[in-house]
Amino acid sequence: MTYRRFVITKTISYAVALVATVSILYVGIYPSLQHVITNQATVQTQQFIQSLAKNAHGSLTQAEIQREGAAYKANFLSAFGFSQPLPVKFALQLYHLFTFQFGTSYFTLAPNGSNLVSSVIAAYLPNTILLFTTGTILVVLAGSVIGLLAARYAGGKLDRSIPFIAVFHSSLPTWWVGFLFIAYFAYSVNLFPSGGIISVPPPSGVIPQFGDFLYHLTLPLAAFFVVNVGGFAYVIRSLVVSTMSEDFVLTARARGIAENRILFSHVLRTVSPSIATQAVLAVAGSLGGAITVEVVFRWPGVGLLTYDSILANDLPIIIATTFVLTIVLLVGLYIGELLYGVLDPRIKSG
Amino acid sequence: MSGQSSYLKQFSKSKSGVAGLVLLVILLVLSVYVLLAYPPNIASTWNNPKSWQSNPAKAPPSWIGYLGQDVPSTISFPSVQWTNSAPQGGSTYNYSNSYSFKWSSSKTPSNIVFTPQFKGTLLEAVVTWTKPDGQSLVIYIGSPQPNNIYDVTDQSIVQWIHQFIQSQTGSLQATVTTPDELSALFDRDGPNLLSNPVLHGTYHVRYDLVSQSPVSVSQATSLKVIGTSYGIMGTDLYGRPIQLGVLLGLPYALELGAVTSVVAVLFGIFFGGISGFIGGRRDGVMQWFTLVFLALPALPFLIALSYSITLDLLTEALLIAALSWPFYAIIARSVALSVKSQTYVEADRAMGISSLRTFLTHFMPRLTPVSIAYTVLGIPAGILLAQTLAFLGIAPPNIVTWGGILDEAFVQQAALFGWWWWVFFPGMMIVVVAVPFVLVGFALDRIVAPKVTAK
Repeated sequence: MTYRRFVITKTISYAVALVATVSILYVGIYPSLQHVITNQATVQTQQFIQSLAKNAHGSLTQAEIQREGAAYKANFLSAFGFSQPLPVKFALQLYHLFTFQFGTSYFTLAPNGSNLVSSVIAAYLPNTILLFTTGTILVVLAGSVIGLLAARYAGGKLDRSIPFIAVFHSSLPTWWVGFLFIAYFAYSVNLFPSGGIISVPPPSGVIPQFGDFLYHLTLPLAAFFVVNVGGFAYVIRSLVVSTMSEDFVLTARARGIAENRILFSHVLRTVSPSIATQAVLAVAGSLGGAITVEVVFRWPGVGLLTYDSILANDLPIIIATTFVLTIVLLVGLYIGELLYGVLDPRIKSG
Repeated sequence: MSGQSSYLKQFSKSKSGVAGLVLLVILLVLSVYVLLAYPPNIASTWNNPKSWQSNPAKAPPSWIGYLGQDVPSTISFPSVQWTNSAPQGGSTYNYSNSYSFKWSSSKTPSNIVFTPQFKGTLLEAVVTWTKPDGQSLVIYIGSPQPNNIYDVTDQSIVQWIHQFIQSQTGSLQATVTTPDELSALFDRDGPNLLSNPVLHGTYHVRYDLVSQSPVSVSQATSLKVIGTSYGIMGTDLYGRPIQLGVLLGLPYALELGAVTSVVAVLFGIFFGGISGFIGGRRDGVMQWFTLVFLALPALPFLIALSYSITLDLLTEALLIAALSWPFYAIIARSVALSVKSQTYVEADRAMGISSLRTFLTHFMPRLTPVSIAYTVLGIPAGILLAQTLAFLGIAPPNIVTWGGILDEAFVQQAALFGWWWWVFFPGMMIVVVAVPFVLVGFALDRIVAPKVTAK
């Protein structure tokens, strides 16, 4: 199998998986989705009737306006497949989801004042992806290095303490760690800001602004890192230790190759596809923690947006964030899979 | 099979595993105690601020007193024998009782609460307050309502204290606050009453009840001196003891974690095990199916679902299980693949033994210990997810959750105001519950893993 063929197969498989996953999501949110669409239809029709009455300047009777309004509403609902067979309704509503036509939010506005759900999410999503990917990259890098070193000095202090660190850290709720960090680092010793993404008012100049942004990023990132790094290092250590007993490592040792070189070039190359798989699983597992850490730090990402929307009962936003996060997760898994293909020599060389 | 007993023997050698098991038993005993000791509707009591009126609000735990901080803890006198005397002169029945308590803090308490409980009609009740130096003052004369709560913010008590302040200092400021009124009760008498030091020693509070007909005074008639600290874990903004919330949240957490984990692991291990066992195109399809569920982001999906379905404990557990089985399927598949490459499996095939039999004799014995280990490891993961959902405001109704307590702490900005106990203990419980499971799970995993991967 060439890498090209691998990519094509995987792309098709993931595309079909996307439709299947979203279908499951659709079934789960079906009642709320119909509720939201009906609400939107009512609101839009109300607006339509008002503007019609205003622009008609008395040339239309009340009954005519009402009739036009009813027609408008029926038209709106039929665009979402109401009064049509279920498969058509499903296809139409899925089409609206996939084209990011989520309608308007009940309360929440985007920073530019728009009440379109898609613009609200477009404003919040980059912050989540930024926090989440930075955190994951840090965890994967540091976790791999720690895991490799633990395996290198198997039985040593680091090696023996890693399982316990993994135990302890992976049972911590990320948002709670964030909470404690705020209590200590922000309110007790005043070292870091308690939340937000940038100071109010923001400093002038690009470089000070970037610095201020990093300053705000530190605590949420640290909370994410602390919770996830231990478990990841433990997994990597187990992978490496089991590889260290393989024949090719013995051969390399017999040839007199230095232990560090064996570890960082031979063993690492062998386990790197598995690391990619583990990283993908870690991404899937830590998404929940990442979006809740946003809540405690008031980091303006989709996690905070979801929390605020739950408080405000802003159903369109909740449905849309769920949908968007599903896509983000699937894209993350897809990238991981492609990376696996690059790293696994059996696939790459064909 | 001698395998099972050798697993047990190996497990008993793992110190951390045994420690985890002991902790686990303690947690189970505690949660059984909670289920037996508290009524099922305790959550509505918990959520009703009125039930906690007589507790100090946002009070730190009492033990910080030992760390050098002067935080008087709450003193309560629930049951004292009442003395009653026969009608004198044939007209009235008199009942009396005196409470005594020692006060050694140089701070005043945060409140004093009287709860008269009796059946019948009282003509008059008099409450007399005597300080350690023998000075006494009347703080209540009137006819109290049974089961009402009277405290130092109550007008019927405040007026007597104000009279006393005026008699001592010669004037009464317009802005006398509750701390001032408490100072009047605890400070040395004199013109500087409100700025005098707190008197140390024994205080006496005497109740005299007078009635025309016999009255049955309940033993529950109580006096409570509300300190500025409370219990092991302090209280929240409404005076609810954190230790009670932490206890009440325990059975829910364990139950949910256990159900979630058993269902998810059983399904995941079977699915992944079979997938790896049969291999080929069908394996590909099953892997794809796993991917479809793996890609559902658990947290947002459950939030969205909670608007379509009313959650109860079982539904929540099953939903979390439905979203977490792919992780176990992936692990089981890799175990199955490693078993498949063993020579005895090839030997079976060469001898024409049915694949069902091969699966049962060679794959299941290796998948079972793995599934036990992951069931144990999966419980804290389920608990964590459920508490996170509760923090976001999604939990079955009428259940006290640690996540819910923490959400309230977050909303009330406990971190900003330094009410660390409100943040620390409920969150720590999530860890305390998770750690023994992970310790046991890791110990099991270490025993199981080498047998599976050994070549």
